[in-house]
Amino acid sequence: MDERALLDHQFTVAAYVVTWAIQLGYLAWLGLKWRTQKRNAAHSGSNPR
Amino acid sequence: MKKLAIGLYAALTVALMVWGFYQAIYVAPDEQTMHEVQRIFYYHVPSAMVAFLFFAISLAGSIGYLACRRNRAEWAQISDAWALAGAEVGVVFCTVVLITGPIWGRRAWGIWWTWDARLTTTLVLWLIYVSYLLLRRFAAGPQVQTLAAVLGIFGALDVPIVYMSNRWWRTQHPAPVFGGGEDSGIKDPAMLHAFAWNVIAWLAWGILILTLRYRVERQHQKFAAQEAQDALEA
Repeated sequence: MDERALLDHQFTVAAYVVTWAIQLGYLAWLGLKWRTQKRNAAHSGSNPR
Repeated sequence: MKKLAIGLYAALTVALMVWGFYQAIYVAPDEQTMHEVQRIFYYHVPSAMVAFLFFAISLAGSIGYLACRRNRAEWAQISDAWALAGAEVGVVFCTVVLITGPIWGRRAWGIWWTWDARLTTTLVLWLIYVSYLLLRRFAAGPQVQTLAAVLGIFGALDVPIVYMSNRWWRTQHPAPVFGGGEDSGIKDPAMLHAFAWNVIAWLAWGILILTLRYRVERQHQKFAAQEAQDALEA
């Protein structure tokens, strides 16, 4: 693999990794928020569903 | 039953994501001038399409909230939850666009960023919706939802400007993929298939997290309403 092809590959990998890091990071944050709300609702003795 | 349906949809989404990745990396051929780095296109463009769609959902939710806020409280809250979910998930996808674009640009143009019309209007769109989210997060009082709805409507006005920017003005950004005249469009069928699968996959993923965000917001609204009721009764 020549230097140009190697750089192309590294940039492509970087773009794909960043995309998944953002998407999965957001999903994890959403999951934590969901769990906290559920816990708060149970703690206050009411079920908001 | 509902949990089973959500689980099946999530499994289908994961399968689509894996299939889309396979199509983009292993099936689609190398583009003649940009070579491998052009494969960023299969994540960059579908992310932009999904971001535009979700900002449109935010617009519809904002209009719905303003229309219903005086006489149909429950509908207003549902609309507001969709407006917030659309804006927030739209910002996530727009962030992907604003990061993958410069990574591509660095290899294709030799620069990370240029203040051309497409890039600048996209950055302005992102900033408007980030300010929308900051308003929702840090402002207090009964007018926050109304102010946010107005900002959401103004923010959505930038979406058609972003879409048309590389038609109206000469830009560094590549020509439109669709609707840009005879020279636009993907000519290679294998590239078109890879692109279509990734649009479907990212749309499925987007709908999954949009629905989850909507449910979290509705849960928050109901919890806040219950707390307010308890405080009144105490």
